[in-house]
Parts: sequence; C-alpha cells; structure tokens
Amino acid sequence: MKAFSETVRLHPDRPAVTRHDRTVTYTELDAWVRATARRLGPDPGVVGVLTSRSPDTVAALLGVLAAGGVYCPIDPAYPWPRREAMIAASGCRAVIGEPGSAVPPGVRLTRLPGPADPPAAGFTAVAADDPAYILFTSGSTGEPKPVVTPRGAISVVTAGLRELFGITPDDRVLQFASLNWDTCLEEILPALTSGATLVFHDHAYSGSLRRMLRMIDAERITVLDLPTAFWHELVHHLTAERAALPPSVRLVVVGGEAVNPVRLADWRALGLGAVRLLNTYGCTETTLITHAVDLHGPHTPESGPAGPLEGGPDDRVPIGRPLPHVVERITEDGELLVGGPALALGYRDRPEATAERFTELDAAPEDGGPGDGPRRWFRTGDRVSRRPDGALLHEGRLDHQLKVRGVRVDPGEVEAQIAGHPRVGAVAVVGVPVAGHTTLAAYVVPRSPAMTASLAGEVLAYLREHVPAHLVPHRITVVPELVHTASGKVDRAGSHRRYQSAAV
Amino acid sequence: MNVDAVSAVFREVLEISEVNADSDFFVMGGDSLLATRVLSAVARATGVELEFDDLLDAPTPNALSKKIAEAA
Repeated sequence: MKAFSETVRLHPDRPAVTRHDRTVTYTELDAWVRATARRLGPDPGVVGVLTSRSPDTVAALLGVLAAGGVYCPIDPAYPWPRREAMIAASGCRAVIGEPGSAVPPGVRLTRLPGPADPPAAGFTAVAADDPAYILFTSGSTGEPKPVVTPRGAISVVTAGLRELFGITPDDRVLQFASLNWDTCLEEILPALTSGATLVFHDHAYSGSLRRMLRMIDAERITVLDLPTAFWHELVHHLTAERAALPPSVRLVVVGGEAVNPVRLADWRALGLGAVRLLNTYGCTETTLITHAVDLHGPHTPESGPAGPLEGGPDDRVPIGRPLPHVVERITEDGELLVGGPALALGYRDRPEATAERFTELDAAPEDGGPGDGPRRWFRTGDRVSRRPDGALLHEGRLDHQLKVRGVRVDPGEVEAQIAGHPRVGAVAVVGVPVAGHTTLAAYVVPRSPAMTASLAGEVLAYLREHVPAHLVPHRITVVPELVHTASGKVDRAGSHRRYQSAAV
Repeated sequence: MNVDAVSAVFREVLEISEVNADSDFFVMGGDSLLATRVLSAVARATGVELEFDDLLDAPTPNALSKKIAEAA
C-alpha cells in the first residue's frame, strides 16, 4: 500500500481505473480506498469480496488491504454451497457486496462505500509476514485449498513485475483475467503502483474477438495479459480473419499453460515485431509470476530465423528463467522447487497439505552456498528441464493435475464432488483433448444397476448446483464398471479408453 | 446462415464429424474459447456479431441458425 500511496502523490490527477464512460483518478481512488478502510474498521480480519468487472472490486481490494485486512475474492456466480464453503474455509468475518447478497449466519455483509464517503485518516500498519489475500486452488479431496499469501510477497512481486513489464504512467492495461484467481493482480497491482490506467470494458469478456479488438483500439490499450489458451484463439483469429492487432498494444503477456509452437510461429508471421510477447510461469503458492521469457518482439535477441526459438511444430516453448526475486532448484525427479520471499504462508488450517508442498531443505551450493542454512521451498509438482541458455522447459506434472482453460484442476476434486451424489457408486474423471483444448469427461458407475436411466443428467444438475463451471465435465457417461490397475486403483486413462466411443 | 452451414462450423471448430442439427456445442466438448471461433465464423459469413451468451442460449445448429436470422 506504500507504493500505491506514493503513486497517488506523484500522479494525483491521472486516471487510475476506467470502465466505459466512467473514470476514477488516483486522488479519487485513494479517497474511495480510505472510505472502504473506514467502513471496515482497523484489522477487519479476512474480508470476502463479491467480485464484479468494475472499479468497485479494485476499491474493495485496496480498501481491505488499507484496513489491515485479508482480501478474499468470491465469484457471485458460483453456486451457493461453493461460496459458503469458501467463506468458511477462508475464515471471512465480513463480506463486501450488494445489499441482499447471501452470506452465512454470523458473517457481516457490508456495502462498498462511495468515493465521497468519509475516509479513514491513514492505512493500518502491517508487517511483511501478515497475510494479504486468500485464493483457492484445486485440491484432490473435493475441497479447494485456501492459499494464504503474505504482504511481503505481493510487495516484492509487484515491484518485480513493474520492472519486467516496464510499466509507465502512459500505459493502459486491460483488465481481462478472472477476478477470482491471482492473474488479475498482475494487471491491477503493477498498473496502480506506476501511475498507469487499468481499463475495464465489457467487450473484453463478450466472446466476440471482433468487438474486443475494436475496443482495444478505441481504448488505446497498451498492455494485454492473457491466458495462453485465449491467446491461442486470438492468434487463430488474427491469422484466419486477416485481422490486425491494434497499434496501441506494446506488450502481450501470456501464461497458464504451454505455448503452442505452431501458434507462436503464426504470431511471428503477423509482422508484430514492435510488440513484445512475454511468456510467464508461476503458481498461486509462489505469487503470480516466478519465471518469464521473451518470445518475440524488440526484447528478443534470439528472434529471427537463426534463433533457437523458431516455433516449429516440434519445438517446445520454454516457460522462462527465474525473476530476480526467485531461487529455484530442480530435484533428481526433475521437479521444480521455488524459494525466496514470494512464497505463500501455506494452506489455511491445513497443516498436512502445507507440510506436503512447502518443505525445508538445506541450501545447495548453487543457491546461496553452505552456511546459508535451510531454506523453505514450494514443490510445484511441475517436472522441468533446463535448456543450455538457462530457460526451463515444462516436461509434465508429477501428479494428475490438469489445466482446464488455464485453471488448475485436480480430477480428484471433481471425482470427490461427483461421489457426493447419493446414487453414484464410483467415478473417474479424465482430461480429454477437444480441438487442442483440455476438457473434462466423467465416467460414472451407478450405486445400483436399476439406477442407470437419467443418472448422467442428475449428476450434471447436481454439479451445477455445487461447483464452479470450470469443474463441470462437458460429458458424463454412465458405465457398468471402471477399469482398475493391477494394484486395484482406478485406472482413469484405461476407463476412458474402454468407454470413450460409447460417450458420444 | 442455415442449419447446415452452422453445423459445418461446429464440425470444423470441434474437429469432429458427427454433428447434427440438434447437437449441443458444449456437450460435444466446446468451451468458451472454442466458442470465439464459432462467433468469428458467424461474423465473417453474416456480419452478425453474436456474444458468448448467445451461444450458451442457443447451443445447437438449429437454435443458433434461428438466432442469427433474428439478429440479421
């Protein structure tokens, strides 16, 4: 919050956040943040925020932090049982949302104040290891895991990303990422600590790329931070429709899953040499971005036909090199471990899950030398290899986790949810490629053979009432039994192979 | 855009052959990302710029063809 206050002092009259015809200057946003902090009172604990694609959510986020609280975004479109579970698991004592929004008993619902409401005099003092926000990642048990990120982590990463992105007060950064995961903070925090403008616009989320490109042009957007899967579609559109990327765009940041080398080659053929294309990697538990690499544009010495990143169909695109605040280590199994000041504190109230993924190891000579003492590491679960130039290549997962539209999904979580349906006996969930995208398919065994009819539809309706849309399989097939491995465990891939042709 | 033309778009986008007039785009594996390709193809053929919510609302070639006709 210190960096935000300094920005307000340097750029009081510049636009901080806009949506359509509405503009909020830095001075106005600061007053709004203080009004929110006053409404919450000092040290309000964990505050849930029912998110909306508008400057309101930015005021709520910064207001919670200014009050000394812990921000926890909650998507109002999620089914109620999920919202209730998130509020309970994060320990929310207050929720900011529209009057009448549902909250569990004992939780205070607070309306966001207006920018002109009475402000708090100052921001509540915090320490670097005080928590800043709680975000959820998919867990194998059916319950999402609340990741608690400390203040110090967001300070160091925000400063690092300002540097990496080269954000200046002239930048106009599109707010595109879902407000329910951490990527949106890559857009919000570097922009609002640089004097740049964060732009919300409904045409960014409509699904029409034509409208989105016209809007980017009209709004003079300079920075786009896109899920890789969406960027793949943008490249497809620009290529197939012979459409142009508006000339205002100077930086495109992608991340979330592997960059398709064919799409990268297509991008390089578009004549966008002045646009910097940056691939990034990071986990919620290691705070936003830990690794990055330039793939194209003015900062790419390797670009050009002779470079090592040619983008042929057999090339793999690297996930990057560690940012200055990151220490990394690769285990004998090839797992990437990440250390440094950006690690999360752990999973809230889940000491076993925390101990499993956050581990203390003695420092190796290459990461600080002997005498540095033990260091805390996050086990990413990602297998990587190092190219001669130091950039990492992603080799796969050590567990069964999938990326569905850029979001981490543990099939075990979806299985546990489906198993909660009273008529389901057994279930296997697999990731299935459809036109290059990973989608979820479920194979369900009824508890009793008499229950086969209509079970698929019932399970689908049950899931829609209990989990967010990205966890709902597109196809649910009722089968007589699952395939098991020699050791008796459910063989997800084997079950899919046996039944996929029945599943059309 | 008639039903056959929309079915052809579904086939191309989903990379599958078995699409009929009542096939549901999302049940066949379509998602919000692949939907952008359907919307781009519709816009190219007809000039009608539909949104993701329109496809959610009309996810079959039959229904989408009607929606395009209404919007044209």
